[in-house]
Amino acid sequence: MRRRSWIPALINLAVFIALEAACVHFMFRNGELQKAWLAKGAHAVTGTFWGGVQSVTEFFSLRGTNRALAEENAALRAELERTRAMFREACIDTMKYHGASRGYEYIWAEAVRLSRNRQHNYIILNRGFEDGVKEKSGVITSCGVVGIVEAVSAHHSFAFSFMNSDISISARLGGEQGAVGPLVWDGRNSNKAVLKEIPLQYRFQPGDTVYTSGHSLLFPADIPLGVAGESRMVNGATNEIKVTLFQDFRSIRYVSIVHNKSLQEIEEGSL
Amino acid sequence: MRRSGFWAVYLLLLLAQLLLSSFFSISPYVTLSILPVMVLCISIRVGTTGAMLIAFATGLVVDYLSEGLIGLNAFALVPVAFLRNPIIGLVFGNELFARKEDFYPRRNGMWKTVLATVLAQAVFTLLYVWADGAAANPFWFDAARWAVSFVSGSLLSLICLRSLAPDTRK
Repeated sequence: MRRRSWIPALINLAVFIALEAACVHFMFRNGELQKAWLAKGAHAVTGTFWGGVQSVTEFFSLRGTNRALAEENAALRAELERTRAMFREACIDTMKYHGASRGYEYIWAEAVRLSRNRQHNYIILNRGFEDGVKEKSGVITSCGVVGIVEAVSAHHSFAFSFMNSDISISARLGGEQGAVGPLVWDGRNSNKAVLKEIPLQYRFQPGDTVYTSGHSLLFPADIPLGVAGESRMVNGATNEIKVTLFQDFRSIRYVSIVHNKSLQEIEEGSL
Repeated sequence: MRRSGFWAVYLLLLLAQLLLSSFFSISPYVTLSILPVMVLCISIRVGTTGAMLIAFATGLVVDYLSEGLIGLNAFALVPVAFLRNPIIGLVFGNELFARKEDFYPRRNGMWKTVLATVLAQAVFTLLYVWADGAAANPFWFDAARWAVSFVSGSLLSLICLRSLAPDTRK
């Protein structure tokens, strides 16, 4: 019974829409002002509709776009590193020195799992040895160091996060001549670290940028890590500086795995 | 007998509307229309679909024969026919539909009849001014045009109501 009561209402609505559409058609054909008005309205509706469709399409293609950007990012990093190496070698050539830095290789990856609320946090990445990932590789983003690859399976890698009380990375405070010391997580906040063993005589200002030093075999030099904050003297011998990291560990998704091509040679002492 | 009388009055008023639109134009910005009350007074037994078709035909006749924008009167009048039953139900209650009776000013109340007429006139004038202006005029201008047309059209419709309402024709 209820279903039947809707039928006349639907017929009325259909007739109403048809008659109004006919009226609009007549006005569109006969009134210049109405023609322009209706055309404007139609364009607005069409634009809104297709704009909405485009937004939805873009939303669903974001994952692919992010992957493409991460891949491009890794390629650009590799290119940048090659350029830096060429520049260094050009400088070294003038000093008749034949050193060998074979540079780093970069592989982009997606973090599929990560922990943040422990003292020993970890990250699992969706790239393994079949993708070229090796143990003892660094994990970085454009905002800093994320961790160190510890174990590798065929398609996944397990990395210790920088938010790990056992990990320290070699960092430099300020420009190329800046003081170097180990940077460790402060153990409490996801974006705070402590730069240790900075000589007392080294002058710096809160707000100075902290970079990777390049002394580590895992990370290239000059990756910006964070900014220096307050400092305190330790044992009357060195300064300990609080650092606010650029990398927010709550929003890690795409990373670059960076591997020092010379690592094995260096470790075997062949150089 | 009553129905044939109604349609005769309807046709006469349609003729009057044509004369009104063609020769008694106060201003191009004042719309004098008795079409809403004509559609409102169509018998309930005709039904909404029938009333909409009659309103559409009436509007097109007026548009074609009075040198107006073709489709404009029909565009504003069809919604009046579509909303006719809700307006009658709102003002007079749903008993009229149950008994399939038309409203009578003397029996159902003069003020209620006036209210229903005014509501129908408001809907018609609103759509007419909106579509005729085509968003080319400032809001205040269209609002003023609507107010003047609504008041003058309502007064004219109340005069015509005496001819259209069945009990006044006895």
